[in-house]
Amino acid sequence: MSMLASVPSNRILPAVWKLIRLRLLLTLNGFKHAKTGRKILVVVAYLGLLAFAGFIFLMSWLLLNFLRSPQLTKYVGIEVTPFLEAVPVLIFTALFLGILLSSFGVLLQVLYLSGDMDFLLSSPVPIRAVFVTKLLQAVLPNFGLISLFGLPVLYGLGISCHYNILYYPLVLLVMVLLTLAAAGLSAMLVMVVARLFPARRVAEILGFFTALLTILCSQIGNLTNSFGHSTDISGEQVNSLFTLLMRFNTPWMPLNWAGQGLVALGESRWLSGFLLVTLTLGLSAVTFMVALATAERWYYSGWAGMQVVARKKKSLRTLPPAGTMQQAQGRPLRPATTAETATASWVGRFLPAPVRGIVWKDFLMLSRDLRNLSQLISPLIFGVIYSLMFFRTGQFFTGQGDAPIWVMDSLRTLATYGNVGMSLFVGWMLLGRLSGMAFSSEGKNYWMLKASPVRPSHLLAAKYLVAYLPTLALGSFFLVGISILQKISPGVFLYSLLTVAMCLAGMNGILLGFGTAGANFNWEDPRKMNAGNLGCLGQFLTMLFLPLAFGLFIGPLFLVNLFQWPQGYGYLVGGIVGIVVTGTCAILPLWLVQKKVDRLGEN
Amino acid sequence: MDTTIPLIETRNLVKRYGDKVAVKDVSFDVNGGEVFGFLGPNGAGKTTTIKMIVGLLQPTSGTVKVSGYDVQAQPLLAKASSGYVPDTPNLYAKLTGRELLRFVGDLYDLDRQQVAQRTDELLRILDLTAAANDTVDSYSHGMQQKASLAAALMHDPKVLVLDEPTVGLDPKSARLIKDILRQMAERGAAVFLSTHILEIAERMCDRIGIINKGELVAVGTMKELRSLGKAGEVSLEDIFLGLTGGAEEAEIAEILK
Repeated sequence: MSMLASVPSNRILPAVWKLIRLRLLLTLNGFKHAKTGRKILVVVAYLGLLAFAGFIFLMSWLLLNFLRSPQLTKYVGIEVTPFLEAVPVLIFTALFLGILLSSFGVLLQVLYLSGDMDFLLSSPVPIRAVFVTKLLQAVLPNFGLISLFGLPVLYGLGISCHYNILYYPLVLLVMVLLTLAAAGLSAMLVMVVARLFPARRVAEILGFFTALLTILCSQIGNLTNSFGHSTDISGEQVNSLFTLLMRFNTPWMPLNWAGQGLVALGESRWLSGFLLVTLTLGLSAVTFMVALATAERWYYSGWAGMQVVARKKKSLRTLPPAGTMQQAQGRPLRPATTAETATASWVGRFLPAPVRGIVWKDFLMLSRDLRNLSQLISPLIFGVIYSLMFFRTGQFFTGQGDAPIWVMDSLRTLATYGNVGMSLFVGWMLLGRLSGMAFSSEGKNYWMLKASPVRPSHLLAAKYLVAYLPTLALGSFFLVGISILQKISPGVFLYSLLTVAMCLAGMNGILLGFGTAGANFNWEDPRKMNAGNLGCLGQFLTMLFLPLAFGLFIGPLFLVNLFQWPQGYGYLVGGIVGIVVTGTCAILPLWLVQKKVDRLGEN
Repeated sequence: MDTTIPLIETRNLVKRYGDKVAVKDVSFDVNGGEVFGFLGPNGAGKTTTIKMIVGLLQPTSGTVKVSGYDVQAQPLLAKASSGYVPDTPNLYAKLTGRELLRFVGDLYDLDRQQVAQRTDELLRILDLTAAANDTVDSYSHGMQQKASLAAALMHDPKVLVLDEPTVGLDPKSARLIKDILRQMAERGAAVFLSTHILEIAERMCDRIGIINKGELVAVGTMKELRSLGKAGEVSLEDIFLGLTGGAEEAEIAEILK
């Protein structure tokens, strides 16, 4: 017992409050020390959220009133009230499953990767308090988000259906207890997974799939359009949906009891209402307590593996013999001689060893960190979706109608070179990550490059290649795919390839130049790296550069169509002007930032 | 290697961060074959000085020469002859130990065959052979520290600069590193290390520099430092505290009483 510390208390709630207060203090300090612009943004965001909640409440109220209208019943052909009674069931099920899944990643982070667990567990605070706080920390943001959508709908339903006053506080209580139960189960799930796999790897895989899912969800509308499905909903479809939802509202699923009980209470069916709500509350509380105690025991006993990263293999390690340093001194190392360099592979003649080394290292790093892959795969997904859309809209330029010949020729040319546009769009997205953050991606490892005898020009060349080669490969992949489907001639394909290669080269130069100037090495999570304001400016400039460069290559082809000149002139002029401009953009920014490379990372 | 030639020379080295002066007019030499200990309290300017020596930070004024090359004017030559082990081993997490050393070999433009051979030797010496094909993020702190040392030794540097090399190492690894540094010095290299462990400095270092509040307050052998201190100050700890913060020490003792 220390001479200064008082006798530690075993009471959980004061300790939880102490820990939550610390978390609040950290958040408050973050806000206090933020720039004024950010403070204003945070305040506006919170006000916006409040307004949004109010809007959802109003809309739910109006919508639910509308759903109860006799006209709709007549249109749909079925009684809507059973559907309305299924709404709370749906919301509570979504809340439970949503918290269970979304808390997984946050709990993995706060329990295994945040690094403060050892500090908290070694302080005179009950372990349970630490766990409760961690659970709250994990679920509060998600609970807030789900409540933002769910509560206004549930309260709107209560008002539109004239539910009993008891309904409103109980909705909140049930939501809280279901959330805690889901978080407890999620914590157990995290520990089972962390026992089987290294936590850091699980976090990477989770991040990868979350990002993938987010991209796919954001593109559902486009995907639906791409596959030609109509978004119009018929009365029959609404009818089927209502039937499905009502079928879901079965009393045999414990998750449904909460919603059914609350509706029963709201409608003053006291016996069934109290029975179901009490059952839900009791089961949730027991689940939470059991899950909490089990998770706590698993964690503290070491069952769930305290180590953040597990070794891949454990092979027998032999001790080196004493004084082994002499063995290493047998042959002193020296830089490769000119003769050795001359006999190196043909690649070596064009690319110095440091450039090759950095390119090789960057490709390994990019392919192995799944958090990077999630960013790199998004251009591919967008490319596929927009290519499908392009093919659907590309069919419009058939026939002529009343339009002059040159207009239709120009439109067909535009459609033909749509493959180039698509490849450039995909390339732009990929380059934004690879080139714009080429230096930032080094992060805290940048000291290794900076302390090595690598010329700035070699460093820039390596970073240029790391961004350019995969982008060119992806752009060409789309170009070849679309060109085959369009059945374009080899000559047009070659010109398209030249256009793509040169436009990407110019764009790469601009993005790398700005990304280098604004390089930021202070990040822990690759998803949070950025190239600063200058990087954003680079992205913006390439948005202007792309249509300009594309226009320089393709524009002369339109002109020759207009003046009925031979097509060859268009290719010649477009090729020369395009190559000169894009080539300049590829080199000039790098030449300008070359001096800055020496001083990178010294702030 | 000629052990009388200074392989590290700093002259009137100054580093300012806005109004704050982190390093004030620091000048010293480190000869080949010498282990030079660089001591100082937290925030005294040790890491800033080291970063200027290895070319990670541009001095506000003054010069640093490594192996006779001016770090600012001839950075590539200076860097090619030095190896650096930072206080925090930030290494490429997704490379394996072997890949990391191969990458370093490429950065220094070394012959590929020699790199392979040297990699095997260094991994064996530093007891990392079993983990050679594991990614660095699976290494413990001590293993990362040793991997960082292996990277610094890849090109057999004439100057080795280490920032707190023994922090977080087990006694066996710490001993191994001390042996390697001593052998490097015996082969004529200049070894410059900063440390908080005064026992290491006292035992290992041929000369010691003490920096306090950005100023180099003493440089010399243990014997020379003893002559600088008050009568009765025989240990490096006494001399160090006498030069950098005896009053603070008394205050701490009062608080802990």
